[in-house]
Amino acid sequence: MLEVNNLNTCYDFLHVLWDVSLVINEGEYVCLIGPNGAGKSTVLKSIAGLIEIKSGEIFFKGISIGDKKGDQICRMGISLVSEEMNLFTGMTVMENLSMGAYTIRGKKKKEALMNFVFELFPRLAERRIQLAGTLSGGERKMLAIGRSLMSDPSLLLVDEPSLGLAPRVVDTVFQALEVLNKKGVTIFLVEQNVTKTLQVVDRGYVLERGKIVLEGSRVELSRNEHIRKIYLGV
Amino acid sequence: MKKFQDRIGLSMPGLLFGVFLLLLPWFPPFNKEYILRWLIAALIVGASAIAFDFSGGFIAVINFGFMGFFGLGAYTSALLAIRFHLSPWLTIFIGALSPAILGLLSGLVSLRLRGMMILCFTWFVGLALMGLATKLVFLTRGSLGLPCPTLYKTASNVPYYYTILGMMFVTYLVMKLVIQSHYGLAFRAIGQNMEAARTSGINPLKFRVVNFILACAFAGWIGGFYAHYYGVLTPDLMSTAKTTEVLVIAYIGGRGSLWGGAVAAVPFVFAMEVIRSVLSDMPGLNLIIYGLFLIFVMLYYPGGLAEGYRKIVAKLRVKEIAQH
Amino acid sequence: MICGGLSNVGEAIVMEPVIVRFFRWLKSSAGITILVTLVIAAYAAMDQGAYVIINILVTGGMWALMAMGLTLMFGVMNISNFAHGEYFMIGTLVAYYVFTPLHQHLESHPNHLLTLVAPVIAVFSAFVVGGMSGILTDRLVFYPLRKRSKENWLMNCFLLTLGISVILINAHQLIFGTQYKGIVRYWPLPPVSLFGVYISIDRLFASVLAIVTIAIFWVFMKYTKVGQALRAVSQDETGALMVGISVDNIQLLAMIMSCALAAMAGGSLLFMYPSYPTVGLEPLYNSWFVIIIVGFGNIAGAAAGGFMIALLQILTRVYVGEGWEYVIPVLLIALVLIVKPNGLFGSKVRGIWEK
Ligand SMILES: Nc1ncnc2c1ncn2[C@@H]1O[C@H](COP(=O)(O)OP(=O)(O)O)[C@@H](O)[C@H]1O
Ligand SMILES: [Mg+2]
Repeated sequence: MLEVNNLNTCYDFLHVLWDVSLVINEGEYVCLIGPNGAGKSTVLKSIAGLIEIKSGEIFFKGISIGDKKGDQICRMGISLVSEEMNLFTGMTVMENLSMGAYTIRGKKKKEALMNFVFELFPRLAERRIQLAGTLSGGERKMLAIGRSLMSDPSLLLVDEPSLGLAPRVVDTVFQALEVLNKKGVTIFLVEQNVTKTLQVVDRGYVLERGKIVLEGSRVELSRNEHIRKIYLGV
Repeated sequence: MKKFQDRIGLSMPGLLFGVFLLLLPWFPPFNKEYILRWLIAALIVGASAIAFDFSGGFIAVINFGFMGFFGLGAYTSALLAIRFHLSPWLTIFIGALSPAILGLLSGLVSLRLRGMMILCFTWFVGLALMGLATKLVFLTRGSLGLPCPTLYKTASNVPYYYTILGMMFVTYLVMKLVIQSHYGLAFRAIGQNMEAARTSGINPLKFRVVNFILACAFAGWIGGFYAHYYGVLTPDLMSTAKTTEVLVIAYIGGRGSLWGGAVAAVPFVFAMEVIRSVLSDMPGLNLIIYGLFLIFVMLYYPGGLAEGYRKIVAKLRVKEIAQH
Repeated sequence: MICGGLSNVGEAIVMEPVIVRFFRWLKSSAGITILVTLVIAAYAAMDQGAYVIINILVTGGMWALMAMGLTLMFGVMNISNFAHGEYFMIGTLVAYYVFTPLHQHLESHPNHLLTLVAPVIAVFSAFVVGGMSGILTDRLVFYPLRKRSKENWLMNCFLLTLGISVILINAHQLIFGTQYKGIVRYWPLPPVSLFGVYISIDRLFASVLAIVTIAIFWVFMKYTKVGQALRAVSQDETGALMVGISVDNIQLLAMIMSCALAAMAGGSLLFMYPSYPTVGLEPLYNSWFVIIIVGFGNIAGAAAGGFMIALLQILTRVYVGEGWEYVIPVLLIALVLIVKPNGLFGSKVRGIWEK
């Protein structure tokens, strides 16, 4: 479904990603793990078209999207839940969700999507007329995921959903992602919480200093010496 | 001695530039009186740009009412000289006090404002000063213009040239010394992130006020020279367009460099004057060129002269290291 | 893909009674300010006659339009536009050069319908040309900068707008000269009587136009998809890109609307403000006064603020004297800033504003 070949990305003069290649198949739940500053967020932003890539190719459903802009990529069915969430803080929860469905035509479909989001996160339904800027951290995360879902994506990119959340909220978020994956949404997850991530994903990649150093199935990764030592602390 | 040189940032090119300015009035065509007048206008703008950059480039406060403070100094000095028959040499120093006091007040009240809000606040202070100068006719004669005594009794421009050159140098020296002291560090910290500066124990109020007082005092001082050089003051001296002129020079020179404005002023203002006199049958064209130039610089060289200089120096260094 | 057959989980939201919300609003500083403004306006009208109100509506409405454009441009593009007055100037110029030939034509060939319609054509042309100059400005100046670097964006844009302002003012001087290019009036009709005062049709038209435009603008921002996209971009540009909004197009649209509104204000006030190079200065000050008073990112506030500024200036002119209307309001606004650093109505987009 998604194929990234030899991706290089720079911020001005800082070369962050070096020949990153990865493949994600339809319906898979794939993770990308790595230390802070490795460039994980940069990978997601490059795919989502939020930053320009220097070289390399990105294919989504066979179409090259490397030079497309963020809005066009969103229309193709890729949705990003960024680390900063990028919510519309001056709008209510409802308005945020309906902005998420900006690319969706048809009122019926919008309503169905919104109901789905509210079912997934009943908490949001309670807060539907509250301003997004006044939500708690966990609620914001839910709203960010919910807003991404409103564009009915086939590939969901999620950047560190557990960052700064209480363990119970983290569980909610992870459960929601699993539900989505069961429903057929392909998920590419970036996480620091490696223990938890390796319990849920199908496959994973490890990114260090801008390079993919390891890839494998969940079982392979969990057994890998390097991962056990560095990321699982065993 | 070496240390002092470093502190005032005196480099070989800087020294050469100083010598160049010192000798300039002796070489034709620069020894012609009307060209000297242009040079003096350029130096006034250059000195103002230094004072402007002292706030804009360091504590990140754009004083968009700069010429209001400048004009306040000019009017105060002129009025003191007229009403109390004081020597202009004395009044330009006393005249610098009133913008300094206004700078103190503005610095105090502007502390809660940030970014563009400060810009607008100072803009309005400047507009109000211009409005007062226009409306307090009994004091300033409004737009009729206020004639005032000149510094020298001669018709020659040479003494004025050296006076403003000296004043520009003093402005640079004082401001550079302040920037090199621990104040400079605090200014930069405040300019980058006021909250972070506050939490690391810098009192933004104190530094901002000190910065404002100094910048405004020098603006008023140079304003005093302006009054007693041209010998007549009109309120539109304080207009936003005039502030823009100073600001543009400061930015073309390079934000946060102090010297950039002074270096940019001489060729730039001079070139503008030449263009104006050449295109005198097409009024406005010179300013269109000026606007285009500003847009061009901002689009393609937003760091200004100072950044270009830094890049060249860095390249030379790299070459030097490579040779060793 | 993820639409399943799902039940509606939302329950009806209990709203506070409107009246309670209204009183809460009245107690906020925005409410108090507007209340005080209304009281002062009513007093002035009783003291000086109802023409005060009409003057407030005419000029205030136009300042409101300009301030709304300024707010829009700042919100969506993060540009604090100091060339906004020049689009007003373009509006006056276009209206003049469209209306004058029509007027001359009418003198030799009287035609009732055209007499009625000519001013509308003039104002509409100002609107259109204003929008087009917005496109030009964006593509020639801001678009290249956006593509190059966002570093120090606010400051660079501020300087760029100063440059644009200098160019437009002097281009006017170079091409059209410095003389006043004005008209006596748009409609050669007798004034109508309203509440015991006579109002010229020109003024009536300007105030109605302003109020109708404000209403349309508000509905547009609140209820249309594009309006919502404009608001979304102003709140989070990256977020807007992520939900599939074409930020480039929305920013261009904001620029077009902002410039078109300013030019329309210029066109419809041509009978008060003859066109000359620096005619934009006064509207520029006024719209910035409004922004400072009400704070940025508040379009409804900008509309209200336009009328407040007009009131302030008219009162100053009436009670203090001609020419003081730029001194006293400025001092007052400086005071307001000291007391309420974010403007009277508070501001939601503080983050970027403070850089
Ligand atoms: N906007 C930016 N400008 C410059 N450098 C950046 C920017 N964003 C990230 N970086 C740098 O790129 C590197 C990778 O960042 P990021 O992708 O956020 O890492 P991760 O998400 O793995 O923690 C870091 O060294 C960071 O400093
Ligand atoms: Mg990250």
